[in-house]
Amino acid sequence: MLPWNYGFHLDTGHIVFLGAFYTVLVIVATTVVNALLRSRRDMQTSKVEHIRWHSDFHDLPAQDRVCRHVLTGEFKSGECPNSFDCRECETHAKLLQVHPIAAGGEKEIFGMSFPLDRLYHRGHTWARREADGTVTVGLDDLGSRLLGTPDEVVLPAPGARVEVNGTAFRVRNRDADVRVLSPVDGEILETGDADRGWYLKVRPAACGELPFRHLLRGAEVRPWLLREMERLQLTLSAGGAPTLADGGVPLSDISAAYPKADWDAVCSEMFLQV
Amino acid sequence: MDREFIARGVKRCSTGKFLLWILPWAALLAFGLYSAGLCLIKGLNQTNMDNRFAFGLWIFLDLTVIALGAGAFFTGFLLYILKIKDLRAVINSAVVIGLVCYSGAVCVLGVDVGQPLRAWFTFWYPNVHSMLTEVTFCITCYLTVLTIEYLPIVLKNRKLRQIPSFLVFEFELHKLIYVLAGVGTFLSFFHQGSLGGLYGVLRGRPFAFREGFAVWPSTFFLFIISAAAVGPSFVLLTTWLVEKISRKKLVKPEVFSLLGRISGLLLSVYVLAKTVDTLIWINRTSPESGFPAAQYYSWQPFGTWILFAEIVLFGLVPALMLLAPQLRARTGWLVTAAMMACCGVALNRFVMTVQTLALPTLSFDRFLSYFPSWQETGTFLAVVAFGVLVYSISFRYFQLFPSERELRRF
Repeated sequence: MLPWNYGFHLDTGHIVFLGAFYTVLVIVATTVVNALLRSRRDMQTSKVEHIRWHSDFHDLPAQDRVCRHVLTGEFKSGECPNSFDCRECETHAKLLQVHPIAAGGEKEIFGMSFPLDRLYHRGHTWARREADGTVTVGLDDLGSRLLGTPDEVVLPAPGARVEVNGTAFRVRNRDADVRVLSPVDGEILETGDADRGWYLKVRPAACGELPFRHLLRGAEVRPWLLREMERLQLTLSAGGAPTLADGGVPLSDISAAYPKADWDAVCSEMFLQV
Repeated sequence: MDREFIARGVKRCSTGKFLLWILPWAALLAFGLYSAGLCLIKGLNQTNMDNRFAFGLWIFLDLTVIALGAGAFFTGFLLYILKIKDLRAVINSAVVIGLVCYSGAVCVLGVDVGQPLRAWFTFWYPNVHSMLTEVTFCITCYLTVLTIEYLPIVLKNRKLRQIPSFLVFEFELHKLIYVLAGVGTFLSFFHQGSLGGLYGVLRGRPFAFREGFAVWPSTFFLFIISAAAVGPSFVLLTTWLVEKISRKKLVKPEVFSLLGRISGLLLSVYVLAKTVDTLIWINRTSPESGFPAAQYYSWQPFGTWILFAEIVLFGLVPALMLLAPQLRARTGWLVTAAMMACCGVALNRFVMTVQTLALPTLSFDRFLSYFPSWQETGTFLAVVAFGVLVYSISFRYFQLFPSERELRRF
């Protein structure tokens, strides 16, 4: 085993065999230590939320990871390579130059209110840029109807930081415990509630258009919502619950209409988490 | 009761039902542990092995489960090194199968070798010229690798991943998993080969002795190819079985077909190599040792049927079935072929272990028969029970099939 060991001979057999063995051990140990060191660095640099999102995104069903340009019909298929963060996406930037997103759209889609003055995150939150430079964050109408009347809302304290696709706040309703994803990077200034129509006021970490480029807007909202309604139908039907009828309008508290559905699973699907 | 530990979007039976399922397996494990304890405390006199029949049920079991568990290294190799992404659907299950098979094999080896307090001797004073030393080193190293590969699966549990340090470590370890997959492939390659090699170098057993390349007899390569061939088949078979027991769709039909095709391709290579090897052995190696090959098959019940069953019935036939797209598209045929391939490798390991030792080699020798004692059988069953328990618990609490949630929708 070792040169000072009884029975050890410094011959080719020992050198080759033990050399290979020690190399394997060193590689395995280095890999584990490397993972531990990286983990420590991630913890120190507060990357937990970033990692949680990447891990969740990786585990989402393939059809839920499609690029926004697939939703609008510009691409036939394609998985988003940037985990829904279009800020660094070159393809998205090029497409925006060629075909800027039409500003128009509908305020009411499938009987739900989607005002045009705000930008929408695929995890069912919206962000509205205010005149004073702050950003108001709230749940979109489908998100609100999915969560109905929450049993509990856990909001971050003013001064806390949120990051894009990280946890903005938590909502508990029936058996569902939902991490609502943040549409923006920034610092929490004030917290609201469902009655006020918004949940967070955030001082954005950066100014300009780039920090909001990943959010859906204008003419993109309708095709996205169409896909979301399909996803909701599929998710609800998976549990053996009755499917939504075509042509209707979602109830204000969808969860109450499906008492037997696994609402935790439905919400995890719709709010993009595992 | 344990709902918070079960992944979101997947359905599992109630805790009570699950406990009822694991209870008989736990009882079997307890019986097996008692049997193994007797062997460890009282010695190998509890078994029906002796100085002549030194390899019995346990070594047969070891060789078989290690071959069947090869799905872990081979699926990892195909996914992380050759980037066959579709296999992501079964990689976690393959890792659990590998872990179960290897840990079971190591435990049984521990009972067989005995003297557990001196287990470290094999590492501290290794005989580097022994194939068994290579096997011991590779198996323990690979079991370590499999345990590390299993760790991200455990840490991805719904409850555990709420702990930030676990979530981050799982994420970072998973990013480096291709290194472990590479190491696993290297280790598996050598220990599967060495297991075959240790029979091939038995000059005193002309039934097993083979010529080869450099220091490696042909059995070294045959064991590697056969293990790589049946590994995917066993993953396929297990997945199908779990689907049937849990009454859930776990992977897409294309994944079954892919596993079948990979297995079929490698099995046909194995059958070809095994046929060439057998022909060389019949016409050259065995006669040169002073034994016409026909003589081995004159001892009943090991007639030529066993050779036919090994190469044609459980080799060529499943290989052709797995290679035919029309048959592969039908689950019944696919599963039957995978089952036959697994039986084929088990039969091969049985022949190499039991038939080799049963046949007389000296003029005053007689044909030996061996039947395992209840203690041996109990220890064998403990490995089966252990495997079912670990797999059942893993299936319930960890995401062994990432597509399950997606497939639940349809």
